[in-house]
Amino acid sequence: MPKAMKLAAPLLALALLSGCATGGVPSAAGTKLSSDAAVSGQITVWSWDVAATALKRLSKEYTKEHPGTTINVVDIGYDNAYDKMSVGLQANSGLPDVITVETDHMPAYIHQFPKAFTDLKPLIGADEAQFDPSKISASSSADGKLLSMPWDSGTVALYVRTDYFKAAGVDPSKLATWDDLITAGEEVKAATGHALISTDLSTGSLFQMLLQQQGQGIFTPDGAINLTSAAAVKALALIKTMNDKGLLDNVKGWDGRVTATKNGKSAVMPEAVWWIGTLTGEMPELANKITVVPLPAFTAGGTQTSNDGGSTLAIPTQAKNPQLAGSFVKFMLANKDNQVSMMKDEGLFPSYLPALDAPLFHAPQAYFGGEKVYELFAAQTPKIPSITYTSDNAKAGDTVSSAVVAAVLNHQDPAAALKSAAEQIATATGRKIAQQP
Amino acid sequence: MTQTLKRLPVYLVLLVGAALSIIPFLWMVIASTHTTAALFATPLPLLPGGELWKNLARLQQETNFSQVMVNSLVVAVIYTAFSCVVSAMCGYGLAKFRFRGRGLVLGAVLLTMMIPMQVLLVPLFQMMASLGWVNSYQALILPFLANAFGIFLMRQAFLDFPDSLIESARIDGAGELKTFYRIVMPVARPQLAALMIYTFISQWNSFIWPLLMLNTEDKYTLPVALNTMIGLSRVDYSGLMLGSLLATLPLLLVFIIFQKQFVSGLMGGAVKG
Repeated sequence: MPKAMKLAAPLLALALLSGCATGGVPSAAGTKLSSDAAVSGQITVWSWDVAATALKRLSKEYTKEHPGTTINVVDIGYDNAYDKMSVGLQANSGLPDVITVETDHMPAYIHQFPKAFTDLKPLIGADEAQFDPSKISASSSADGKLLSMPWDSGTVALYVRTDYFKAAGVDPSKLATWDDLITAGEEVKAATGHALISTDLSTGSLFQMLLQQQGQGIFTPDGAINLTSAAAVKALALIKTMNDKGLLDNVKGWDGRVTATKNGKSAVMPEAVWWIGTLTGEMPELANKITVVPLPAFTAGGTQTSNDGGSTLAIPTQAKNPQLAGSFVKFMLANKDNQVSMMKDEGLFPSYLPALDAPLFHAPQAYFGGEKVYELFAAQTPKIPSITYTSDNAKAGDTVSSAVVAAVLNHQDPAAALKSAAEQIATATGRKIAQQP
Repeated sequence: MTQTLKRLPVYLVLLVGAALSIIPFLWMVIASTHTTAALFATPLPLLPGGELWKNLARLQQETNFSQVMVNSLVVAVIYTAFSCVVSAMCGYGLAKFRFRGRGLVLGAVLLTMMIPMQVLLVPLFQMMASLGWVNSYQALILPFLANAFGIFLMRQAFLDFPDSLIESARIDGAGELKTFYRIVMPVARPQLAALMIYTFISQWNSFIWPLLMLNTEDKYTLPVALNTMIGLSRVDYSGLMLGSLLATLPLLLVFIIFQKQFVSGLMGGAVKG
């Protein structure tokens, strides 16, 4: 993903400013939303990319059902969206009625601007249990408010090059654990000369994915640093083992991953469901050469998925028409038909679980040789482990990446590298390091 | 012959420099004629492909490129015109008029150059919001009209201007405005041309402030519109390259037009004795 490294400087400047900007804190906690309020007037919605396309398309349906309303959808672009939104949150003015925020970004916003978002719980009530649980926990505040509504999930599975596995005589559907996959990787390498996984080690995203698969994050639920846990060491040791056996292909960034996949550098790709869009869009020539299986587990029978990406919709307390905004958000996201149609037209994989029963998710996919790949993702989505995000996740991310590079490329002991990273984060954030049993 | 041989290393260095500056542009041209998928292939395409018109159509459809181009031109031209007038007048005042606190004013102007934009973003944003100027072009133009760099540049240009010429203009009955416009300005044309190029380019490329201020797609300027082509999990590189290429052309034009002014503004014996 063209990721947000370049956001760091302006965001840091904003953080420094938070002390001296005047009038930046909303006084009230926003309007109390009601699920059956009368709606009228107009709202503006900020989004990007295919999400904006989906909003524009379905807003027409909404206004048809609710005469006298107008929905303006603006594509603000993804690359600098958080600069734009952070300034609006800081200044407490200038934001529209609805904004799109990625799931990973929401916890930091909730922490930094606790009063800037409207509680969406009254809109859906008990329906909250119908969403991907990992998304709900990322969108909730400590006092139990739901400050953004989950939109799509980044359910992770393993994309496998079937031709490479066939050449090595390995059956990808038999991969139960990561150890199995490493053995298979060695056989594939011997038979075809290809690596197992192409990843950008300097982002640390593979490590964080493996950590979440084991139900843990960089921080524990009570906010302590979790890098010295057995799960963290296991995740890093796994990456190191793969690299030591020559099974890793280290690439640079999003473009590097796309190029490596297109050119068939590696045999498997642990990627989210939205990777399908990249495959069909940028590499149609790989049709019928790829299959999807659940992630291998750490121990047989364990969790076989993780999460990478996904977005939510939030209503700032400064919204001018919060009731219409709430009604529209509910219409878009807590609605089976609309979630299914966004999957069909824009490839946004629903976090709203009832939508996953739709026939679309049981249909064979031509690109994958007629396999029902969405069925697999649908089955895994409710099993994505919930983890704790804190306001320091972004800050800790860089230190974690350095630890990954130190252990994997510079041959440090994984436990030692993680311990030193945990100490650095403790110094930088003032958080405690979690005591390990 | 030996002369040429001696210069050979210089030419080689220049050749490398020229290649380094031209290759990115060449790549922009090549990339804008392929599909994005082709840009991920190995080996990279080195010759132009046949997708130019399709890319252009998509660029126009997704960003309303022609409209955006006009928006950018309008903002940059208006800003350049007014900002240069303000800079020239202010620079003239600071260079040629003696008044109490002149040094202080100049110091204050220069000090504003040291404030990074990031620090201004939030307060300036709040100011624009309370004026009701969010999503308007005056919010892009007015806050930056007095440009410290421009004022300083023009002041330096006017410093060397002979006082005796200004005095003789006054004696001949010219008012202050006429003296400024008829006598002083023509001499400062090279500096003014340089300033115009500079202000035009800075406004043309300006990104973060327009991104914060503009909230409807029909008002976007070029950099903000091109930014929307960078998606979450998909980047339209060929469209982006074509857009950047087209966005460079007006800059080239401005530079060619005003470059002549660099050399034609010589002072040529205006003062005798």
